[in-house]
Amino acid sequence: MLLAKTLTSSTFKIALIAIGTFGVIVSAIFSYVYLSTASYVRGRSDRTIMTELAALQDTYRRSGRDGLIALVQQRIADTSFVGHVYLLTDPSRAILAGNLKSWPPADGTRGWTEFRPPEPLPGDANPPLLRTMLETLPDGDHLLVGRDIGDLDSFTDRIKTAVISGAALIFVLAGMVSILVTRRTVGRIESINATTRAIMQSGLDQRIPLRDSHDEWDSVAENLNLMLDRIETLMGEVKQVSDNVAHDLRTPLTRMRGRLEMAYHGARIAEDDQALIGDTIGDLDAVLRIFSSLTRIAQIETQARKSAFRTVNLVEIAGEVVELYDAAAEQDGTRLIVAGHGEVLVTGDRDLIFDAIANLVDNAIKHGRAGGQVVVSNENIDGRAVISIADDGPGIPADQYDHVFKRFYRLEHSRYSPGNGLGLSLVAAVARLHGAQIEMFDNSPGLRLKLWFSAAAVQ
Amino acid sequence: MTGSHRRILVVEDDPETAGQLVESLTSSGYQVDLAACGNDALSRGVASDYAVITIDRMLPDIDGITVMRQLRAGGVAAPVLIISALGEVDDRVRGLRAGGDDYMVKPFSFVELLARVEALGRRSDTVVKETILRVGDLAVDLVSRTASRRAKEILLFPREFQLLEYLVRNEGRIVSRTMLLQHVWDLHFDPSTNIIDVYVGRVRRKVDGQQAYPLIHTVRGIGYCLRAPG
Repeated sequence: MLLAKTLTSSTFKIALIAIGTFGVIVSAIFSYVYLSTASYVRGRSDRTIMTELAALQDTYRRSGRDGLIALVQQRIADTSFVGHVYLLTDPSRAILAGNLKSWPPADGTRGWTEFRPPEPLPGDANPPLLRTMLETLPDGDHLLVGRDIGDLDSFTDRIKTAVISGAALIFVLAGMVSILVTRRTVGRIESINATTRAIMQSGLDQRIPLRDSHDEWDSVAENLNLMLDRIETLMGEVKQVSDNVAHDLRTPLTRMRGRLEMAYHGARIAEDDQALIGDTIGDLDAVLRIFSSLTRIAQIETQARKSAFRTVNLVEIAGEVVELYDAAAEQDGTRLIVAGHGEVLVTGDRDLIFDAIANLVDNAIKHGRAGGQVVVSNENIDGRAVISIADDGPGIPADQYDHVFKRFYRLEHSRYSPGNGLGLSLVAAVARLHGAQIEMFDNSPGLRLKLWFSAAAVQ
Repeated sequence: MTGSHRRILVVEDDPETAGQLVESLTSSGYQVDLAACGNDALSRGVASDYAVITIDRMLPDIDGITVMRQLRAGGVAAPVLIISALGEVDDRVRGLRAGGDDYMVKPFSFVELLARVEALGRRSDTVVKETILRVGDLAVDLVSRTASRRAKEILLFPREFQLLEYLVRNEGRIVSRTMLLQHVWDLHFDPSTNIIDVYVGRVRRKVDGQQAYPLIHTVRGIGYCLRAPG
């Protein structure tokens, strides 16, 4: 299974192509080495023969046939000339001197010839392969000088064997290595594939096993695992949200249903009916508001509204929000103060920024201390526009900071105060659309929330 | 408003919603024509003279905004109220208010619809020329930006004055919270808290406190109405 996958994998195919290309090059180099070695060895041997022939001809010229016969006999006796062959005949091919019993079968008179004499040289078991140079001397005598080249041939043969087996070894090793490497790659991919299939079949709790090799495969697996974590979190949040939607909707819907059912079975009393219908419309409006808020948050989150971006002044918007909430603050006995003046400019959607600030101020008034104070301030810090909203109420425990932006999330102590737990989700969505960061601090006492608009959003 | 100017064209493809619109407008004294698609709306709109035309944004054949454009191109001057789902509210829709037309987001209450239709219908035929508006013993001076009851000045912040001015200009008509947000604060969303009620409450204390009779009335579940007794 794994082997079949290995052999069909693209890595293996690429390895094969590489081995093929490499093999052709190696074969070419080895062939060149072999051929040049062989020709060098042969050339050297030929030169030796030529030199010897020249020496013999020289003797012939100086000392005549007898001198040459004497030299040939001396050479044959000389052990340092083992492997050399000589033959001197008269014009009728009668042997005058030499260690060969007969003239080569080709019967030439001049030039190179290679042959195997019928009988071995003295001291040898088999007839040698001879390479000889033939020459006809001025008075018609024939001279042959040559060497046993069997040794040379066996030398070049050894080189040939070495070259071929070396190349073969390289091919085999390369093939084995590429199968091993491919197998490893395919193995890692298979483990990723297996996890993917398991996730599709059974759920998001599976993770790709790491091998702690800290290689690129581990980093791929790690990133995929991180992505799976993120998806799992998001899925969890989606589930949480739909659970909450279901819960938050079921309560008013159950109330309405019960009310209508009782009225349906009860007697018609105009006054009661009027009140019942009014209450039901009120409850329905609350349900519709939840839907509107969810749609609105979703709309902001999908960034559908960047078209409405203009340069707006945070100080101005904060002022308008404070003005709008002034009456509500007054009712709670809260002092609502706006600090900062001049211009704190950002590029954004006025309505959305207004809505976000309004939600934050609303929260600060609602969850702050009755008779306390809420301060809204705007500043330019390091080229970034910052708006901060601070109250002096009970604040939020630091471990809840991340949670309060989730849809429908409500702190335990505010579970029964008015609101639907969507306000801060909207703030978070608006912040994200504007590339702004939300920071929360303990205002001791109370909560201070800062919205940092990104430098890009500031003009 | 004259007789012919209480004629309204409703463009709506959903039969039940259309029926409810026709019924509520008819019971308020309007004469209502119904068109179920964009093409029908175009032929009817050009043929008769309507005080107001309400158009659903999503029609089976032509987009509501396009219907409106084509009516305008055909010389129809009647103000248009576009009714759209929240997801369809984009810049084109939001731009309607600047042009004197209006839009409303589904779902809506019929009282809100009536209030908006009233406001649109009145737009074309009344232009307030007076600089001082009077309702009962309340006088609102648009030039000096002051208000008084029985010649006693009421101290108002600028925004409070704008709110009162808007209520006075719509004397006797129901004004919804959303309409107040739009016209007084120029906000095109619902902060979904009772913030407007609290704000109107404060204006009301200043205007109606220790007076012979109240002028600002709450309309349960909808909004407010400013009117003199009797």
